[in-house]
Amino acid sequence: MTNVADATPVGQAQPPARTSLRGLLAQTEVDLRLFGMLVALAAILLTFNILSGGKFFQPTNMITLAVQASGIAIIATGMVLVIVSRNIDLSVGSLVGVIAMTYALLMTDVMPNVLGMGADFPFRWVIALGLGIVLGALVGGLQGFIIAYIGVPSFIVTLGGLLSIRGAVWYLSNGAAVSGLDPSFQLIGGGAQGSVGGTVTWVLGIIGCAAIIWLLIGNRRQRRRFGFPLRPMWAEVLIGVVGCLTVIGVAAFANANLWPQGLAARVATEQNWGPAPEGGWQIPTGFPFPIILLIGVTLVMTWMATRRRFGRYVFAYGGNPDAAELAGINTRWTILKTYVVMGILCALAAAIASARLNGSTLDVGQSYELYVIAAAVVGGTSFAGGIGTIPGAVLGAFVMQSLAYGLSFMGVNSPGQNVVAGIVLILAVGLDTFNRRRGS
Amino acid sequence: MTVAERTPLVEMRDINVAFGGVHAVRDVTIDLFAGEVIGLVGGNGAGKSTLMRVLSGAHPADSGEIHVNGEPVMIRNPRDAKALNIETIYQTLALADNIDAPGNLFLGRELTTRLGSLNDSSMESETRKIMGRLNPNFTRFALPVKSLSGGQRQAVAIARAVYFNARILIMDEPTAALGPAETAQVRNLIRQLKDEGIGIFLISHDIHDVFDLSDRISVMYHGRIVGTVKKDDVTIDEVLGMIILGKPPTEVTRQELAQLHG
Amino acid sequence: MVNRRFAALVGVIAVVLAACSTGGASSAPSEGGGAVDCTVGVSWNNFQQPRWAAHDEPNLKETVEAGGGTYISADANLSAEQQLTDVDTLISQGANVLILLAQDNKAILPALQKAKDAGVPVIAYDRLIEDPSILYITFDNVLVGKAQAAAVFEKVPTGNYVLIKGDPGDPNASTFLPQGWDEAGLKAKVDSGEIVLLNGPDGTFTDAWKTEKAQQNMEAIIDKAVADGTPIDAILAENDSTALGVVGALTAKSYGFPPLSGQDGDPANLNNVALGKQYVDVFKNANELGKIAGAAALELCKGTAMAGLTLPGGLIDPSVAPTAGLSAQAFTTPDGTSVQSFILQPTPLTAENLQVAIDAGQITKEDLCKGVDPATGPAACK
Repeated sequence: MTNVADATPVGQAQPPARTSLRGLLAQTEVDLRLFGMLVALAAILLTFNILSGGKFFQPTNMITLAVQASGIAIIATGMVLVIVSRNIDLSVGSLVGVIAMTYALLMTDVMPNVLGMGADFPFRWVIALGLGIVLGALVGGLQGFIIAYIGVPSFIVTLGGLLSIRGAVWYLSNGAAVSGLDPSFQLIGGGAQGSVGGTVTWVLGIIGCAAIIWLLIGNRRQRRRFGFPLRPMWAEVLIGVVGCLTVIGVAAFANANLWPQGLAARVATEQNWGPAPEGGWQIPTGFPFPIILLIGVTLVMTWMATRRRFGRYVFAYGGNPDAAELAGINTRWTILKTYVVMGILCALAAAIASARLNGSTLDVGQSYELYVIAAAVVGGTSFAGGIGTIPGAVLGAFVMQSLAYGLSFMGVNSPGQNVVAGIVLILAVGLDTFNRRRGS
Repeated sequence: MTVAERTPLVEMRDINVAFGGVHAVRDVTIDLFAGEVIGLVGGNGAGKSTLMRVLSGAHPADSGEIHVNGEPVMIRNPRDAKALNIETIYQTLALADNIDAPGNLFLGRELTTRLGSLNDSSMESETRKIMGRLNPNFTRFALPVKSLSGGQRQAVAIARAVYFNARILIMDEPTAALGPAETAQVRNLIRQLKDEGIGIFLISHDIHDVFDLSDRISVMYHGRIVGTVKKDDVTIDEVLGMIILGKPPTEVTRQELAQLHG
Repeated sequence: MVNRRFAALVGVIAVVLAACSTGGASSAPSEGGGAVDCTVGVSWNNFQQPRWAAHDEPNLKETVEAGGGTYISADANLSAEQQLTDVDTLISQGANVLILLAQDNKAILPALQKAKDAGVPVIAYDRLIEDPSILYITFDNVLVGKAQAAAVFEKVPTGNYVLIKGDPGDPNASTFLPQGWDEAGLKAKVDSGEIVLLNGPDGTFTDAWKTEKAQQNMEAIIDKAVADGTPIDAILAENDSTALGVVGALTAKSYGFPPLSGQDGDPANLNNVALGKQYVDVFKNANELGKIAGAAALELCKGTAMAGLTLPGGLIDPSVAPTAGLSAQAFTTPDGTSVQSFILQPTPLTAENLQVAIDAGQITKEDLCKGVDPATGPAACK
């Protein structure tokens, strides 16, 4: 009956062995899961690079991959919150479809013909994007209301959403594809002209580097002020240097991607740049806008999940719904908000998808829900609730897309891609479950 | 000034709670004074926890009134209760297992920066202070509470109730999961809080605990209060008789008492 | 005993259902009729798909009524079961000829049997029904592939080709269209080395014909080609939704627009043809399919046998008319059944003949020429 052993803190008794790699990693307090996923992603890219005889790992290809993953990754950051709070959202693909169609119809039909905003009306793309975001928030909010306040299971509500919203796409467009978006809206989709360019990319890289150092110093100062235990100095420096070099390296890599010669020559003639220099125009594209959007969403969502009450409540509800309720949290309002966030993220992903297509078809966004859930789960989000990270889900989306893109690059057809994607999904989650069980 | 003349800290009058056809709490009236510990005892399903859930806002009463400091109040949810400085330590502890100790301690009442972001450093600092008082061995402030021992988790749950200047404290089986050393710690804490003028409802299966700590003892039986007695006026046997037979000592016949011991 | 009661019950249900679905029939048989006492009953599988209402039905109806017949119809709304009841209703309404757009070519067989029992000839419209008694009227899917490849070959006789196919589970994607490509000479050109296939001998399939998927696949193919230093000279895409994805990829990569094929005459793609982003769009003129079905139905009403059935000249556009002429021809189905048939030719649309799409009501001039500079654009946009 004596339980004295319980009183001794277990962690203190066994300080991590300094000599082992694992022990050293533990001292840097780096998230081992995320680190493992980065290693896995690197391994996938390396494998394809070897298989393709060194042609795979090039700036152009990596940027294509990243742009292709951006829509799924953006929605996956929201799916983490939904799954963490023990719900699911199956309607994301249909919502992307309906919003993409809305953008297309707004710009080709409603704005010029109903609202009297001709093609030269200023900031049409902002207005369209704003309306799409409002639509996403409303549809998400409606679903969230039915789930949180009426108590219909989220699986059912969003399954209904999946069906009925996809049907609405058909009615919106009368079953036809719509094309011809504003040129400025199309930039959201990326491409050489839809990129921020070399200088801005360098500036962003330097800002990112500075932000990492600033955060590390601020954090250390804060912990010292409160007298908390500090990370060893070597670990701080290591994280700072590795983080900074990574950010600058990624910026340099993006800037190594140049405008296609044909495009550069055409624009040069149009804008009278004069004769092309020796060896042709060398214009770096830098980060495309969808990647900028993804980076922004990832930062904001991570901040919401870890630094705001909303995120704390989502995780608390996922860990123990009763405890959250008893702690006085307005759990229903919290759940509703997760779906509003989802709707907004779907609107952003829909902007990328429709901008890339320069329009919308009936099937835009179809089966996104599967890829998004797969990305979140591969990224370490647990269906049991309460566990998951935003950067993990983004990495998960990149892992899944790097497989699809790499196999496409190698000429493997879609049935083969699907087989691999399915196996990797099960492997990733299986390995994670195994590790957790061993860890606990 | 005698106890009876003062205004009670809490008074619950004619409280009724039913779950479907089951009448879990019937016409219960109970009061609690500042600096007093009321032991709430009864068999399984007697209605103790349900009655306390009404006071903590976890489950609204179907009918009845609650007065705090003599003023009628409405307690519709845990937020209302907390606003009245009613804090609860649940038997289940009600901790979010995936969140660390400071996160749980401040759950729903987070400290924030001027911009409304979570101020984790302040929360950790405050947690370190209060845990230093409650459980000096506690060091694992950054780990999810899932990885803590039963005693450490209990300490987090107690710290949460104590930190926010509770005036009324509900403790539902606070020592059930603890070893002897920690149990002793909790008992000391209860005495200390009582001296500070906090009113405490103590639900416990351990009749010795109840006798050690309570000023008065209320016995529930099938949803009703059998009686509320001053600890000094009764014996443990008499209270056990009330729990098992559901009658006040004066109504228990010699024969029933004999059967009980037989 | 039980069986008889059961049969009676089924009978009652059938009557009730028939009564219900009568309300859905678009017009009741008119009294008196015309010169030929002919009622043509049409059972559509799904009227929500815009094509049927926009093109097939008006032409079919007009042809029947111009010949003095009566047009009646029902919509099964994607339900094979509903379609059986619809056919019952049409027969009981006095249809002399049935035109069936089958929701399911197996589930429709009991209805076909009923028609046979009632002595009503059946036209299988656009979708094959495996039965020797029917007259099959459709477009030639193999010819679609042939027309796509022939048009692109004319532009790019030799060079590096990319093949973008549709859903791997659809026989049109995996068999009929590629067969047409080969008939136009793809296989021969590949064997002789005139054409090099950049993305494997089978090309790249597109799950569910999804535009986004086609775009992602095409981007990977472009990246690979650029990494290999091989130019893409032409792209054969099987239909318009995949071709739209290819155009998206070419735009994202600022690659320029090598000749690209498609099929269906979707407005967005026709606009791309006018803009020079897609070279050819093979179009199945559904108006003509409706006309030919109406005319064939009138002939069958007169009691003409299916074999040897000949349609009046001047009814349909000669470019669409069956290659074998205006008499019904024997057609061997995939299951080996021989049926009488009219197999129409698809129309390849390029910048030169886009006016055909406007004339067919497939697209308005405004939509076709959106973003097109009238000075440099195709004739249809001037």
